[in-house]
Amino acid sequence: MIVQGLRISIALGLAFAPCVVSAQRLDNSQIMSTLGQVRSAAPEVDVALLVEEANANVGKGVAALPNWNKLTELSQLIVEIDFENNSTAIEPESYRTVGLIADALHHPDLFRYKFLIVGHSSSTGDARHNLELSQKRADAINEALSTTFAISPDRLFSVGAGEEWPINPGHPESADNRRVQLINLGLLK
Amino acid sequence: MMTKVGIFTGAALAAFLSMSTTGRADTISYADAVTTLAKECGSDIKKVCGRENLGNGRIQACLGKNATKVSPTCTSTLGSVMTSIAQRQEAQASVFKVCEHDISQYCNSVKGDGNILSCLIETKRVDNRECNQAITDAGWR
Repeated sequence: MIVQGLRISIALGLAFAPCVVSAQRLDNSQIMSTLGQVRSAAPEVDVALLVEEANANVGKGVAALPNWNKLTELSQLIVEIDFENNSTAIEPESYRTVGLIADALHHPDLFRYKFLIVGHSSSTGDARHNLELSQKRADAINEALSTTFAISPDRLFSVGAGEEWPINPGHPESADNRRVQLINLGLLK
Repeated sequence: MMTKVGIFTGAALAAFLSMSTTGRADTISYADAVTTLAKECGSDIKKVCGRENLGNGRIQACLGKNATKVSPTCTSTLGSVMTSIAQRQEAQASVFKVCEHDISQYCNSVKGDGNILSCLIETKRVDNRECNQAITDAGWR
């Protein structure tokens, strides 16, 4: 399932390269079909434990930690949302991506599901600071979705991974590692 | 001369008909609404609200507070973007209520909001104009 998410992120990477218009290639149906696939045996994820594990392992990576490891089994999508430097303010150029997520989450096919927003940074800067900033940035996306776009807040969770889970581990300082994961956490109870 | 009048009448009639058949502007997606906001207000947002975020009405508040420094295009766009978002939200919240009768008539045994919506869209017998319009306004086609 992660493979599909990765494939989309690679497609996005290519789409973003030539010009801004290509960013529109990430469309509603793409988000819907990726996030709509839910396996009945998908693991339960406790977001408080993710925060706890990440904070206790700064500089050691999170991918292998028991709760973070569960995330790899869930339906997910990687998107690029850019922020002002060292700030939690989403760049206007990325408003569209947040709006696309809002459109998908407001569709009846995804009504019943809750979602986790995971913020990732590159390794540039202090690891503890990166963890805190990525948490705040994930919270900022959560807040925009639940206020401006009126997604019910009980469907949204956010966590920061800092630089602890690079998508390009060979080059932890690469900008590719700055990304947002949107994960389907399963049915809203 | 006659042709000109004829064309004018035709155009006026067409405009009148389109107004009376739709009666309202179509709603737009959240993505399109905020894309317009970013396009018309992006540079103003970066200039006067650089550290403010999209959530909780802070961008609107900041642009409003700094109205003298913000371009007139942005100020008018901001209002219409917020209206678009509100209209879409209203439309989405109303679908299952507006289509209540059609749901009970044609999709009674269907479970789950997504499946009920598919049923409504696939059931050609749903000729209820309000229900069809509500689904379109919600952006669920």
